[in-house]
Amino acid sequence: MTNGPRGYNSGLVDAASGLISREIFVNEDIYAQEQERVFARSWLFVGHESQIPNPGDFFASRMGEESVILCRDRAGAVHVFLNSCRHRGMKVCRYDDGNTTVFTCPYHGWSYGTDGALVGVPFFREAYHSELDRGKYGLVEVAQLCCYKGSVWANWDAGAPPFLEYLGEFQRFLDLILDGWDGREGQAELLGGVQKWVIPCNWKFPAENFAGDTYHNISHRSVDLVGAGPSGRSRRDYGELNVARKLHVALPDRGHQTITYVLPRDHQPQPAYQNSPEVAEYFRHCEEERRRRPGVNSRMMGAPGEIFPNVALLPRQPRTLAVWHPVSAHQTEVWRFFFVDRDAPKTVKNFLRDYYIRYSGPAGMTEQDDMENWNYAHAASRGVIARRYPYTYEMGAGHAVEDYEFEGLRMPGRVVDLTKAQASEEPMRNLYRRWAQFMEAESWDDLMPWRDEPARQAQAAQ
Amino acid sequence: MNADRLLLTLDVAQFLYAEAELLDERRHDEWLALLAEDIRYWMPMRRNVKYGDTTREFTRETEDISWFDEGKDTLTRRVRQIQTGIHWAEEPQSRITHMVSNVVLLGVTPDAGEPREVSAKSRFLIYRNRVETETDLLVGKREDTLRRDGDGWLIARRKIILDQNVLLTKNLTFFF
Amino acid sequence: MSDPVNVRTLSVGTRVVLGSGAEVEIVANPGDGVWLFGRHVAGDAAGEEEMIFAQDVVEVRG
Repeated sequence: MTNGPRGYNSGLVDAASGLISREIFVNEDIYAQEQERVFARSWLFVGHESQIPNPGDFFASRMGEESVILCRDRAGAVHVFLNSCRHRGMKVCRYDDGNTTVFTCPYHGWSYGTDGALVGVPFFREAYHSELDRGKYGLVEVAQLCCYKGSVWANWDAGAPPFLEYLGEFQRFLDLILDGWDGREGQAELLGGVQKWVIPCNWKFPAENFAGDTYHNISHRSVDLVGAGPSGRSRRDYGELNVARKLHVALPDRGHQTITYVLPRDHQPQPAYQNSPEVAEYFRHCEEERRRRPGVNSRMMGAPGEIFPNVALLPRQPRTLAVWHPVSAHQTEVWRFFFVDRDAPKTVKNFLRDYYIRYSGPAGMTEQDDMENWNYAHAASRGVIARRYPYTYEMGAGHAVEDYEFEGLRMPGRVVDLTKAQASEEPMRNLYRRWAQFMEAESWDDLMPWRDEPARQAQAAQ
Repeated sequence: MNADRLLLTLDVAQFLYAEAELLDERRHDEWLALLAEDIRYWMPMRRNVKYGDTTREFTRETEDISWFDEGKDTLTRRVRQIQTGIHWAEEPQSRITHMVSNVVLLGVTPDAGEPREVSAKSRFLIYRNRVETETDLLVGKREDTLRRDGDGWLIARRKIILDQNVLLTKNLTFFF
Repeated sequence: MSDPVNVRTLSVGTRVVLGSGAEVEIVANPGDGVWLFGRHVAGDAAGEEEMIFAQDVVEVRG
């Protein structure tokens, strides 16, 4: 059977050598297994509380292949439900968003409250003889939910660790997109309008790109040449980045990774957003506030990163989060969310919105070229001959360090200093090592080595 | 419909066909010359909304994220990007046909005899074919504001209403 | 069988008659065209609130 799965760590993913089989991208059996092994038990981004501010508000979202409803009930509690009637499966919500008191199934009329309870069953007394146990048939709710600084995450697996434990030391990178530019906690809100579009490739192509591909600038040369960035040059401002150490940070236990920039202890703010003096001044002021605020990181700058498995963060220029929803082995539906600080002036929000739209998304002059690469890399990997030749992720193998520190600022996990090296593939090896673990593990018990660590250390000490 | 209005409708339609020709022939610099310096080019996203909800079907201009919401500067950069020859999403370039139909005048200022500005609505069917077998069919409406420029017109405003919710093409490297 | 009634746009306060003959005042309308929340106005069930299924509404009494 040409689509038959083979062993992961031995055959398909060799994270040590950096050779990874093309099968994991194009094999339909592997894709099918991923739905159970990866998506049914990972923490997935569902939306942001700014989309559902009031009781009864809802936003139709997605987890893996499945449609879910993110909503706020009458008491103000947030829920995520499977968007499917318990009777015969019809979607109970086919609007993108809105406000409602009930979710009613058009097929037979079953109706659910915003807390998921089955409240309306036609002819309950007559046809059901009052015998149906309505308590058993509320909307299927996720096993775990976490609202973190407004972002909403959900997990179908009750055995998964809580969200912050799942994130581990990656929390500081998620903070970069959710906290205010001036360092205040959780100031992010979404701009209205979630971009949704389909791309003809496996979800792992974009996932690994955002894990930290610093090698593909040549692909974006055309947007750099036309100066679509916020200062009219290149595609973003590089002032600070030119004085920073450029790093890859990979958390092996968790499978999250990112590019990041760490600034020297006494760095000076660099000019940015120069297409608008007002916006430039706003951000300069935010930078100043950030430095003054005690306990706030002001030396670490956001850059592309990936939370396992399929959430891409870009905290800065542009400030956007993408979810790569699996549709099939060969197709992905991208949902892109764009953030601003909720109390930023209108001119700043307008300026950023202009920039976001021309940078990211299907009309994004940068993202367009990424998608072209993913599309044809996938297409060229489907044949039987192509599949015999693994991709090479050997770049920088063996050059990561732990306990990285730069002028007193410590970085977690395994770090590759890219300041001279330019690029490495440590983040990709990290992502796929974790992916292979998920594909092989029977349960979350086998996926939390950090919980065993204290016991192991205690034993070693004896 | 009097004679002036009939002729004006024909004039506007001919202009839109000529514009489509420029785009299909990849004569992008000449196409840019048809855009007013202060053009707004906007393609809202569309939501599935409850019957009767007239306010939330479309994302809002200059408020929300849309597919396009920009002026001549960004449109020019898009053209320049294609002209670098290394914009891989448009290299090799797509083959494209813009079909424009149902051209009607919505309004004329001051009158059809001596128009300074018209608003016109049309429908489009864009067929885009790319590389080997990639094919996209995009259908919708355009609401344009055209400003008299000598014997011709400049596009001062274009609102593009695409009949899709989830965008069914991987990119928007072309113009509507 | 009576003509069907579109309950989607009935306003709160409107009275409807059910197939059983009972008269009910609408206290909430979720706007889904399938359910109403109503309060019985007469008889043994007077004052009781229940969910009314659209198919059970035979007349709108204003």
